[in-house]
Amino acid sequence: MNKKQSLLFSLVRGTAAILIALLVTTLLIFICADAPDGASLGAAISAKLTQTGGALHQLLIGPAFRSNGSISAKNLSDILAAMIPTIFTGLATCVMFSANQFNLGAEGGIMLGAFVGALGAIYLGLPAGILPVVCVLIAAAAVGAMMLIPAVLKAKLGVSEMVNSLMLNYVVMYFIKYLLNTHLADKSKGQVQSYPFQADAAIPQLVDNGSKLSWGFIVALVFVVLTALFMYRTRWGYAIRMIGINQDFAMYSGMKVGGIVILSQVLGGVLAGMGGGIEMLGRYTAFSWSALPGYGWTGITVAILAGNNPAFVPFAAFFMAYLDKGCNLMSTYSGIPAQLIDIIQALIFLFFAAEQFLSRYRQKLVVRNTQAELKSKAAQTEGSVK
Amino acid sequence: MLLQRIFTTDFFFSILRITAPILFATLGAVIGEKAGISNIGLEGIMMISALFGSLTAYWTGSWAAGVLLALIVGVIVSLLMGFFSFNLKTDIILTGVAVNMIGSGGTLFLVKVITQVTEGTALASTTSLITKSVQVPSVNIPLLKEIPILGDILSGHSVLTYLAFLLVFLTWVMLYKTPLGLNIRSVGENPNAAASVGVSVLRIKYIAIGLSGAMAGLGGAYMSMYYAMGWSQDMVAGRGFIALAAQAMGAGEPLGSMLAALVFGLAQALGIKVSSLGADSNLVSPIPYLVTILGLVVFALVGRSRARQRHSAAALQAAAAK
Repeated sequence: MNKKQSLLFSLVRGTAAILIALLVTTLLIFICADAPDGASLGAAISAKLTQTGGALHQLLIGPAFRSNGSISAKNLSDILAAMIPTIFTGLATCVMFSANQFNLGAEGGIMLGAFVGALGAIYLGLPAGILPVVCVLIAAAAVGAMMLIPAVLKAKLGVSEMVNSLMLNYVVMYFIKYLLNTHLADKSKGQVQSYPFQADAAIPQLVDNGSKLSWGFIVALVFVVLTALFMYRTRWGYAIRMIGINQDFAMYSGMKVGGIVILSQVLGGVLAGMGGGIEMLGRYTAFSWSALPGYGWTGITVAILAGNNPAFVPFAAFFMAYLDKGCNLMSTYSGIPAQLIDIIQALIFLFFAAEQFLSRYRQKLVVRNTQAELKSKAAQTEGSVK
Repeated sequence: MLLQRIFTTDFFFSILRITAPILFATLGAVIGEKAGISNIGLEGIMMISALFGSLTAYWTGSWAAGVLLALIVGVIVSLLMGFFSFNLKTDIILTGVAVNMIGSGGTLFLVKVITQVTEGTALASTTSLITKSVQVPSVNIPLLKEIPILGDILSGHSVLTYLAFLLVFLTWVMLYKTPLGLNIRSVGENPNAAASVGVSVLRIKYIAIGLSGAMAGLGGAYMSMYYAMGWSQDMVAGRGFIALAAQAMGAGEPLGSMLAALVFGLAQALGIKVSSLGADSNLVSPIPYLVTILGLVVFALVGRSRARQRHSAAALQAAAAK
């Protein structure tokens, strides 16, 4: 299969995966839609259909367009703002999964990053320009250090990084909840939250419409480029991808596998932590997360949609943020719970990651291609014989 | 005496009560891992089964129907996982992640849709639906009950608690004394070798993941119909993941994994006890997760030093032979 064909195949496959997910979504919405009491079967079905149509409209078109057809700038900036944390967790997951390290700690990582960033924003006494930068950097460093735990245990003792990172997520969450409830709580507030951040710590906004689209978005895009360059243009990135493809080969060709295993997870942690810090300082004025935010799991979906290629992460993150926004709009307008996003996400995720999904179609493409090649070769040799 | 206040018969009773759901999931992990399947979807399956189990119990008014349906749902979800992993070749870990997504958010969607609880009424749950009459019943064991301390600890548990510990034995019998177990183990150890002697690897893998899902389904039923009265969001709280750790610490054997699950049960029971004596629950709650990490490390260290000993013993023998 040549490059063009394999690109075409990926496109068809991706579209098919999304279509299947949307089909199931439509079915679910149809089932949820309520019919008027005592209506005849036909009337009930048509009422349900109109509701389903309305809900789908909110889900798919609502995020981009207003009801009068003009583009909704506010919704779009909301979506871009929502991409900031998932770009970072997506990148983190890309780096770790590329090395075949199934570290699922981006979830706890982004919470810890947000928390450490918040601590810096509350307590560090630094000049205005430097403060947010330092906060984000210490957030990144803290989560990088946290990832050392599963990474070193995996590299040195062969303990599953997956189980350890999952456990760490809970430990981090309770640790933060403990500190937030006791030593760091702002007792003057009705809800559990930290003291407010210093005004200088806030990351400036790109647009001032309440979307919370901060300069963090630009930083996220810069890190997309940096991570892509790192993964595909440096020795370390090559090594990370190589142990993901074939660890034994990497070892026998002289790579220090243990070191690379650690490097990939620590880098993942640094990216997740940075995302947490930026999200916290760009969006909030005090820390009040009392549960894991879920960005880590969305990050995994993003990485899978992007095929573990950092360059595609922003597109995948946009897609997920768009759907998420759509689900929220839908639940506001038609009363269908927004958690539908989790089901859609899981379905798209499953089909995207399925290597053999539509493999028969690929087989056909390959066969057709080879036949055409053979024919042209035969024609050529015939010509030369003559 | 603080120790006396902690180590009461109630405390040991609670260890068994807390261990049971972890044990169900652990057995699921054991069976899966024996067939070479890392089922990290156990967590999600437990959530989904817990929801459907509690709803069915409410609708039918029968706890047995609820447990049965939870088990069936567990099997169905795990077979779907199998379809994606074995037929469509999705990485089994990613399939598990997807099931966990459905388990955490999708179940909340379902509960809102099914019970018609809308966003306004705070947290949707089925806690009001499960009452004493549809809770999994507790049984007193006739003779055991009379024994002074032991009776208080071992008698009076729910039917499912006894089933969990009975299943440890049954799983061992299944794995080591039946042809099916032999097939499962051979598929896990070397699928190519198994295929070459005519074992249908795909079929065995489906059976293994189905059994694994059935265990998680029972664990889910236990959570929503006995441990707590009804389903609530994130109620499984990582027990499916802890089960994976218990499996690893038990070296994948039913009995060893049961002991590891008991350690986690102990850690959690201790945590609950300590927090009831006034410690901060946020400090106490992470204990089982920390114990898991520590346990895995200790297990790996022990395994490593054992391997070294074996290695040096073999070297000594070789030297003596010369």
